[in-house]
Amino acid sequence: MVEKSINKNVPEILCSINRFINKVNIPGIAIGDALLIVFFSIMSDRFLSSYNLLSILRNSCTLMIAAVGLTWVILMSQNNVSVGAVVSMAAVMVPILNNKGLPMGIVLVMPMLMGLLVGFINGFLIAKMKFDYWVVTFGTMSLMTGLALVVANGETISTTSKFLNFIGNGKFAGIYIIIWLTAILVSIMLLIQRKTKFGYNIYSIGGSENVAAISGINVVDTRIKVHMISGLLAAIAGMATACMNVAGSPTVGNDYSFNAMAAVVLGGTAFAGGKGGIIGTVFGTLMLRILASGLSMMDIDSTWQKAIIGLVIVTLIVADVLNDQRKAVKGSRRIYRDVI
Amino acid sequence: MTVDESNVILKMTGITKRFPGTLALDKVQLTCERGKVHVLLGENGAGKSTLMKIISGEYQRDEGTVWFNGREVNFTNVRQAMAAGISMIHQELSLLPERTIAQNIYLGHEPEKEGFKGIVDQKKMVTDSKALMDSLGLDMDPQTSVKKLSIAQQQMVEVVKALSQEVRLVIMDEPTSSLTSREINKLFEIVERLKQNGTAIIYISHRMDEIKRIGDSITVMRDGQYIDTVSAAEADLDTLITMMVGRKIQKMYERNYREPGKVIFETDNLCGLRFRDVNIKVREGEIVSLSGLIGAGRTEFAKAVFGIDPIDAGCFKLYGRQINRIDPTNAIKYSMCLLPEDRKKEGLVLQTPIKENLTAACLKKTFKMGILRNKPENEIGEKYVRELRVATPNADKIVGELSGGNQQKVVIGKWLETGCKFLIFDEPTRGIDVGAKCEIYILLDSLVHQGYGILLITSELNEVIGISDRVYVMKDGEITGELTRDELSQDRIMRYAVGEGEVV
Repeated sequence: MVEKSINKNVPEILCSINRFINKVNIPGIAIGDALLIVFFSIMSDRFLSSYNLLSILRNSCTLMIAAVGLTWVILMSQNNVSVGAVVSMAAVMVPILNNKGLPMGIVLVMPMLMGLLVGFINGFLIAKMKFDYWVVTFGTMSLMTGLALVVANGETISTTSKFLNFIGNGKFAGIYIIIWLTAILVSIMLLIQRKTKFGYNIYSIGGSENVAAISGINVVDTRIKVHMISGLLAAIAGMATACMNVAGSPTVGNDYSFNAMAAVVLGGTAFAGGKGGIIGTVFGTLMLRILASGLSMMDIDSTWQKAIIGLVIVTLIVADVLNDQRKAVKGSRRIYRDVI
Repeated sequence: MTVDESNVILKMTGITKRFPGTLALDKVQLTCERGKVHVLLGENGAGKSTLMKIISGEYQRDEGTVWFNGREVNFTNVRQAMAAGISMIHQELSLLPERTIAQNIYLGHEPEKEGFKGIVDQKKMVTDSKALMDSLGLDMDPQTSVKKLSIAQQQMVEVVKALSQEVRLVIMDEPTSSLTSREINKLFEIVERLKQNGTAIIYISHRMDEIKRIGDSITVMRDGQYIDTVSAAEADLDTLITMMVGRKIQKMYERNYREPGKVIFETDNLCGLRFRDVNIKVREGEIVSLSGLIGAGRTEFAKAVFGIDPIDAGCFKLYGRQINRIDPTNAIKYSMCLLPEDRKKEGLVLQTPIKENLTAACLKKTFKMGILRNKPENEIGEKYVRELRVATPNADKIVGELSGGNQQKVVIGKWLETGCKFLIFDEPTRGIDVGAKCEIYILLDSLVHQGYGILLITSELNEVIGISDRVYVMKDGEITGELTRDELSQDRIMRYAVGEGEVV
């Protein structure tokens, strides 16, 4: 009813935009991204250029891949702090394997298997053996961080490969290959999340593990798969950094776990689980990168940048939590009136 | 009762289920027929829910056989029971608030697109749920998210969810407890329709009027045992209540009654979450019980009085002080304390010694200048271990190593040390053995002699009758009756609790 009455006074184009936004469920963070772009465009005349926007996108890719994988873990009210360590490990595996002269197929498949294996170990210990997810993923984090340093001998390993360089730095139709790849990956994940039973089950488990179990969902199975996907995507993110640098550093993933978590939570996926999703994470990642780029262009010192980004994250999360609490209070009032 | 054997869908015999320390079900039997409503009746803790969870595959039985639809079955998980056509409407809502109605209805068994395994057919899901809800006479948009619905509407979604796949047996665990009369009528229409389609229904409820209206046969359970099965048409209230409560009063404890003093606690039309217009008073030197069935709103009442949950309307007086708003810190200042239902989670720090638990609620009072010292701590520890007769060599023992009854004594000691004079006990004897219960009763008795006022919330009728001076009975958030010591009987309390108080 409300929508119809709006229709009379508002141009058709705005209505269709509104319908589109409702249909694809674009979260509020997207508006935040847009506002930031406007803000930085005013503050710095260098910010709004196709070159800069493209490079923000390109810089977002690796974090986005890792964060999208983490989203489902958080969506089912767990966490995974081993993301960054897997990124590092995959990043050093690519040049090492390539330098050994192995076929490109193996160079690309081995890191992915490593990611899947770490994810499986996480998932198996958490879901099947009922260990605490913090303890388990902290454990695998330490393990993989250490192993990455060991295999790389603590150094950045460079390699030469036209193919890897092309993936990392080449362009297709004027846009970096890496952006295309990220877009494809995110789209696949989005389809799985929205269209498949598996995706539905993730939301159900996150909403309430007990409800999911008494509704006949195989909780253990789903949890293990989600952790494996998180490991796989973290590995792919690591491989992407290796391609972009045509080298792999064993510490490249150090910030990834925290940043990915920040991107997920900024995107509206609550640590409590059951709500949110990948689209939010995409915009959450973009926000982190827009902030980083914009603040550099305003010539703000990089040490200050971290503090400012942290402040933004905390503010947004607090606002989100307060909003939720307000709704919950209103809800319980309403429910009470209803019963009595 | 005669049973038409050819019509039997579910037959359970000799079902036994043990939990650590207790025998939850002892050789229970149950037979359900197609197209009939079988009511399951029993006090709190009689084992009804455990039995239902065995049917629906949530629990596994230790002994006994289950026949379903003509063959012996042994469901090891919910999925198997669902596949066989058993579905359960849970008492506590099992919906996901963030998801839509359609997503909740088909939770765990979403329709798949033809030819694409694992892909959810969202269109079909929405149209099917719409059709299903229409056929049940419910007018809701399947794409609304569940958090926007009222509790009653959510309960109806729960019903639709249970019927969204082919069902042969539906278990309804107190489905009407949060419904309004309009929705109850709708639910009963649905039940009628299910009966006509040959679906069997197990219906758990305490509301006699409902049982009379839709029940075909009634099985009564008590303390994990099967008592009898009777036809609903022939059963009368007196026999049912006698079967439910049994004749099992033993005198475990001796109360020394004394004349109560002045009123220390009095509520004036107090309303809150799940209770309303409560008017009760407690006098000095008096044990007053708040009785009723689980879910009647007693715990919620206690929490609101103690300031954990908000008070919506009304006020209460405590030692002459009028109170409209309160929080736990102030409650203790005003000399009131609440001994919580779950002592392990809310009452104690299990891994610390007794003496530290005893001083935890009054650190400021015990230790001057905010510095912990051993001497007062030890003194307090020894004092309560001695006075409350906690079975321990000394006050240094870790609380988690004590038995349930002794843990409860430590909780009591902790609150006595604060100097509060009005004590609210929520299920103080749950999960502790008979001997320890007895000691707790003696302790309560000696407390009222020292001038304490006690409000006792307990689900055990024995306990209510044994130690109370006065009893209020609560049903659906309202006080339905007040009984003095001379009037107390299990029958009377049960009548008020199930809402037939006027008949007495």
